[in-house]
Amino acid sequence: MSDARLRRVNKEIADCKNDQSSNINIDLIDNSPFHLRGSFDGPQDTPYDGGHFEVDIVIPDSYPFQPVKMKFITKVYHPNVSSASGAICLDILKDAWSPVLTLKSTLISLQSLLCSPEPNDPQDAEVAKHYMTSRSSFEDTARYWTHVYAGGPAPSSAPGAAGKDITGLRDEVAIAGLEKVHVDQFEAIGFERSKVIDVLRRLNYRGSNVSKIPDDKVVEELLRA
Amino acid sequence: MSSDYEYSDDEEYNEYDDDEEAMDVEDGSTSSEEDVEMDVYDDDIKVVSEARKAYEVDYRPLTHQQVKDLMVADIEYISTIFGVGSDVAALLLRHMDWNKDRLTEKYMDDAFSISIAAGISPVPKPSHSGPDRSKRVTRSSKSSKKIEQATISEPFLCPVCFDDTATDTLGLSCGHIFCTGCWAMYTVSKIRDEGEHRVLCMAENCGVVALNPFVHKVLSDDEDTCARYDELLVRNYVACNKNLKYCPFPSCDRSVSCPTASSRSALSTIVPTVSCGADPKHKFCFGCSIDGDHRPVLCVVARMWLKKCRDDSETANWIKSNTKECSKCQSTIEKNGGCNHMTCKKCKYEFCWVCMGPWAEHGTAWYSCNRYDDKSGVEARDAQSKSRASLERYLHYYNRWANHEQSAKLSVELYMKTEKKMEEMQLTTDLTWIEVQFMKKAVDIVENCRTTLKWTYAMAYYLENGNQKAMFEDNQRDLERAVEDLSELLEQPIESETIPVLRQKVTDKSVYVQKRNEILLEDTAKGYLEERWKWNVVVDDL
Repeated sequence: MSDARLRRVNKEIADCKNDQSSNINIDLIDNSPFHLRGSFDGPQDTPYDGGHFEVDIVIPDSYPFQPVKMKFITKVYHPNVSSASGAICLDILKDAWSPVLTLKSTLISLQSLLCSPEPNDPQDAEVAKHYMTSRSSFEDTARYWTHVYAGGPAPSSAPGAAGKDITGLRDEVAIAGLEKVHVDQFEAIGFERSKVIDVLRRLNYRGSNVSKIPDDKVVEELLRA
Repeated sequence: MSSDYEYSDDEEYNEYDDDEEAMDVEDGSTSSEEDVEMDVYDDDIKVVSEARKAYEVDYRPLTHQQVKDLMVADIEYISTIFGVGSDVAALLLRHMDWNKDRLTEKYMDDAFSISIAAGISPVPKPSHSGPDRSKRVTRSSKSSKKIEQATISEPFLCPVCFDDTATDTLGLSCGHIFCTGCWAMYTVSKIRDEGEHRVLCMAENCGVVALNPFVHKVLSDDEDTCARYDELLVRNYVACNKNLKYCPFPSCDRSVSCPTASSRSALSTIVPTVSCGADPKHKFCFGCSIDGDHRPVLCVVARMWLKKCRDDSETANWIKSNTKECSKCQSTIEKNGGCNHMTCKKCKYEFCWVCMGPWAEHGTAWYSCNRYDDKSGVEARDAQSKSRASLERYLHYYNRWANHEQSAKLSVELYMKTEKKMEEMQLTTDLTWIEVQFMKKAVDIVENCRTTLKWTYAMAYYLENGNQKAMFEDNQRDLERAVEDLSELLEQPIESETIPVLRQKVTDKSVYVQKRNEILLEDTAKGYLEERWKWNVVVDDL
């Protein structure tokens, strides 16, 4: 039983090492070949371009007859990936799994998931909302996350006050995908900055939504928080 | 037997006497102890189970084999009509959830496409598009090419285990070939780990399902899994058939057929308590998953009550924080990973874990899953303060309910005590074994009535205040008083000189208790049919 699983996993790891063209890496996390770290580069022409993304891979006992368990180690701003836990919503990791799929092909599928988000099947509803409301603002934030967490290049057109983080301090406003002006505006009223960011993010205070949400509503939420 | 309105002594209820055929229940209450002869006792007990009462339903217990026979009959029926093999017919039926009529209709309409949908024949080549979300997966289709190559080139390399020494290979009608070892492990994993009877081809996006002989062949060395597979098939048959239900008792493989209770609307007027016949204890409700008799309370109300009662316990807390119920089939689901897009294992219903709404709607309106929904927040707070106010009221009913539950639990002890007393009686007097059986019967009756009483408190909790409720509670009070009297008699120490008196008393009281129980059940059952009961909560049909 486990013989076949070990053989298959070893072969998959070896195959991946030999194949340089795909740019997919699989490394051992500890000494077990059943707990791995996969990594790949962010796809080109996406906000994830230039970033290097790591995925935690756990191979279950009944692999390859049951799907592998994967989640992002690197924080990713993407509608189908939980911004908090890295959990992934992808059909082949669940019902659509087939034993002929491999670690490499699954990682490639993850890579292509970054290319084509499915906001209608979201893992992270807040991110998906952001994506649907304002694509450009979403991309700015995703790019910023790629820069901060995945080692991507510093965004040229800094969203919010992202330009300021030369000090290495992460800009919470940009991470939340918000505008500095908006946060400052409510902070000036006397609310704690982190609270303002939290509430504005929850309200999806971005793009065209800003004009739809009255200030009163924001203050009301802030008072409640 | 009719209702017992006359029994309520209060003047204000007299108006009802005119509507109902009044019975001289009152006589029974006061004089039965003296009237009923010892010899009558046995007959009376039997009469109870003979004629069907308003609170009983028609049902038929079935053994595992009988269910299998029913299933085979359905398969044979389709097999003859369509002129296909019985394995194909079985798969078609499974695909259509064993709905013969709908299958026949669809099959006559378009046999080809239903064969594809059921996984009998592969999707024809030109239309290569897989299910809706295939786009994301297409990148990995290299592996499926590998399979095609493998079938042509000679040294076979199994695309699953990468073993090129395997000589035994197998494939379904789609032509995807894998080594026998992988097939076996895959099938075992499907059946054992997932409890799935639908064994799909291992190739990506291939919807062909293995026929029964294939699964049996693959599992030829593994009798246990083979048996499990057959059982899953029968379970699927029972699950799809509204008229059938498995006995919920552990390791009982019998089922019950009860067509009268198969529709949800029927459950708003009847409480279908059935028994699988394997053991007198194997009594359960056909309409819901409560094991045991919950008469006179309707399934919905019983479930509401139980849920309410469990709200406090630790287990309930765990279930509450870790599981939710499928909004379609009410199966309890624990989410142990993955995203919020859930698919119910049992009914395949797709829903959102956060708002429990159907997933299809989330295509455009997943905003409803906003974690901070103001409205529901306000509602939750409102509900909280209300529940505090009603806590007192709830506790009143709950304590009485729990008391009867506790007494029922202690019944094992009571049985043992009674057993001893019966032995004692046989030794100290000249009574025979058969003559002391009245004690055991009385204990049976007490236990039975305690179950009824227990549930009457759940019922009373949800009944709207008014004359109907007052009368219900009168019935309840009478039964309770009678049960407690009988219990007390049973607990009395045995003294040889008083045994004849005790026997007389116990026997009389048993008959009376039995009668009160019947009256209560009968009256509530009729009340459902007459829509007499008014609830203080919204009770929808499930």
